[in-house]
Amino acid sequence: MKQIGKKTITLIITLLLISLAAFLAFQVIPGDPSLSVLGMDATEQQIAAYQKQMGLDRPLPVRYVSWVLDFVRGDLGESYHYGTPVSGLLGDKLPVTLALTVVSFLFILGLSIPFGILMARFADTRFGRLMNVINQTLMSVPSFFLGVLLILLFGLMLKWFTPGEYISYTESMTGFLLYLIAPAAAIAIPKTAMVIKFLRSSVLEQKKKDYVRTAYSKGNTDNRVLFIHVLKNSCIPVITILGMIIADTMAGSIVVEQVFNLPGVGRLLVSSIGYRDYPVVQAIIVYIASAVVIVNFIVDMLYRLADPRIREE
Amino acid sequence: MGNMLEVRNLEVSFPDETDRIEAEPVNRAVKGISFSMKRGEILAVIGESGSGKSMTALSIAGLLPETAASSGQIVFDGCDLMALTKKERKAIQGKEISMIFQEPMTSLNPVMKVGKQVEEVLRLHTKLDKTERKKLVLKALEDAGLDQPEKLYHSYPHQLSGGMRQRAMIAMAMILQPQLMIADEPTTALDKRIQDQILALLKEINAKKQMGILFISHNLEVVKDFCDRILVMYEGKVVEEGTPEEIFYHPREDYTKRLLASIPEGKRTIGTAHTNRKKVLSVEHLNVYYPEKGGKLKQVIYDANFAIYEREIVGLVGDSGGGKSSLSKAILGLNIHTDGVIQHNTEHPQMVFQDPYGSLNPVRSIGWILEEPLRIQRKLTKKERREQVQEMLERVGLDKSYLTRRPGELSGGQRQRVGIALALILKSRFIIADEPVSALDVTIQAQILSLLKELGKEYGLSYLFISHDMAVINEMCDRILRLEDGRIYEEK
Repeated sequence: MKQIGKKTITLIITLLLISLAAFLAFQVIPGDPSLSVLGMDATEQQIAAYQKQMGLDRPLPVRYVSWVLDFVRGDLGESYHYGTPVSGLLGDKLPVTLALTVVSFLFILGLSIPFGILMARFADTRFGRLMNVINQTLMSVPSFFLGVLLILLFGLMLKWFTPGEYISYTESMTGFLLYLIAPAAAIAIPKTAMVIKFLRSSVLEQKKKDYVRTAYSKGNTDNRVLFIHVLKNSCIPVITILGMIIADTMAGSIVVEQVFNLPGVGRLLVSSIGYRDYPVVQAIIVYIASAVVIVNFIVDMLYRLADPRIREE
Repeated sequence: MGNMLEVRNLEVSFPDETDRIEAEPVNRAVKGISFSMKRGEILAVIGESGSGKSMTALSIAGLLPETAASSGQIVFDGCDLMALTKKERKAIQGKEISMIFQEPMTSLNPVMKVGKQVEEVLRLHTKLDKTERKKLVLKALEDAGLDQPEKLYHSYPHQLSGGMRQRAMIAMAMILQPQLMIADEPTTALDKRIQDQILALLKEINAKKQMGILFISHNLEVVKDFCDRILVMYEGKVVEEGTPEEIFYHPREDYTKRLLASIPEGKRTIGTAHTNRKKVLSVEHLNVYYPEKGGKLKQVIYDANFAIYEREIVGLVGDSGGGKSSLSKAILGLNIHTDGVIQHNTEHPQMVFQDPYGSLNPVRSIGWILEEPLRIQRKLTKKERREQVQEMLERVGLDKSYLTRRPGELSGGQRQRVGIALALILKSRFIIADEPVSALDVTIQAQILSLLKELGKEYGLSYLFISHDMAVINEMCDRILRLEDGRIYEEK
């Protein structure tokens, strides 16, 4: 319990540091934001007035604190480009990215664990070797190309969705989810293959351990040894990989969003960088970094649950 | 009473391409051995690694690796185990034949509670309900000499000491009162004191429950007062069989005689007056602390005072975890959490480590490893360094072909030779040897010990010799220091 408290404090400090970095970075970037809003031929007075209006004339620490407080309250500032609140912009795109994350993660989890175990079980057989080759192939296919293939399969042949015609979750939840299947698969397939490879080698590694021999000496069957003894030990390192995958997907996949015409965080980020829409970029940076940090925190907690040796320390 | 176990013409072999340059480049196969065991008998199988003793044990337990091919008969309780199906075999494993292993630290599942691991045997072989199972588990833990069985039931293996884990393994192996328990070097990884306790426990269980024990060991001395009969194995064959009296006092075979000769004898040269000798190390009022998790310091050594003189071998004994390693690290300057005086009269005190496997960088060649300290010194040219390395290597009994090999290609004894060369290459005159032979086979042990002695004489070395094996200490040392509860006493 004490450990969890300590970790939580570290988490909060990390988040503050991230926010500070994101804030400062945009203070030192050359170019005056007021110029990019008002245009190059703005007068001194116009600039001063704008800076006063936006609170840019206050000292740096004051601005940082008020920025953080606004952030916590959900006020992420105003987009330079669209002139609308950043929170609204992000609020539109986030559900898409998060839904994509959840669907692809379920996909990864649902396939990689059984297949990882299966491939470890039959590692020495011809079947196992064949599976391994297929797995290597899937791992190496780029997701945009997979995306194109999946559009062909689900969109044009199975007609689960109309390619390019994005259905928002506000219109139809079923339509939205059906539309997500193909992009989620495009993200998930190479990552599933990666997790399978990892789990397989982890299981094979664990099977060589002394405690496995002990388990056999008690009269355990192969399956019992695998499921009761080996599996939990093998999953411990896999938790890390899964955490990295989640954090990565939460950041939004620009390529997949582009291929499937999905309005997610990734595309918002790219376009905002193009427009020099700093408040939006800043907010997305804080979002992505927080996602990584929080996921890592959860991974840490899961580690503790899975491995009693770490729980003690 | 008929034989409980009869092994006839057992052969175990491995396909060639697997067991490559492993730790020991020996043939592990069992070459057609036969022997028998009576009900309730304790039979010791003795031999060095590669003699086939472990493979014999694993064959009987049904735990041979899948790559192994075996033939012959193992008749247990009137039925040939080799002829059984996998399923029939499983019904016997753990119930009629159980096994305990050398490494109590790794033989238990790290993420499963101890109670559950012991209980698993009952789950697999009985129809008892949960409360009955728990009652039996607690009883078995208690019978295995463990206090607070209820607490242990809910503990994880890492929370137990090595001796306690081995007791938990024993509880697991005897809970169903099998006819045969196979113990594969069950005390080798333990301290001498714990070793004796475990042996006494096994003997007690044997007497109480009429459980036969097949005891595998490389150490003749361990089994002397313990077993009813001894089987000596060498290169996959049984070379001699007899009672402990016959084996110890009337050995017939050369190999058995050699085994006996390699047990270090208790002849210790009495500490000479060293008042007129030069001190190489003096320790005064030394306190050593060990940083625990969270930065707190725990004191492990209290007010230590001793000196080591030129050309002297001083033994350091004490329980594991008692601070022997902390003390030696403090002397070497590897532990900064100390106060008091440590005075060296020699440059570069060096250390020979216990684990010849782990203490050499596996991706570097032996030549590179040996040259490293000289490179750091920057005093010699490349050519001079090479020459010195080669000379030192030859001095420890390895030829120059070893320069280009990597640690993985060497046997344990060869690696320890490299470790010794590494300690001597800077011409240090004071060496701390931390359990330098405890990971080695007994015949190799004797070779390494005599090498250390020889080098000591030749270079005029002083040693601080750490060991838990009193036989080795008595053989090697001029004086003995005992570390008990953090305090140092000199043995008279």
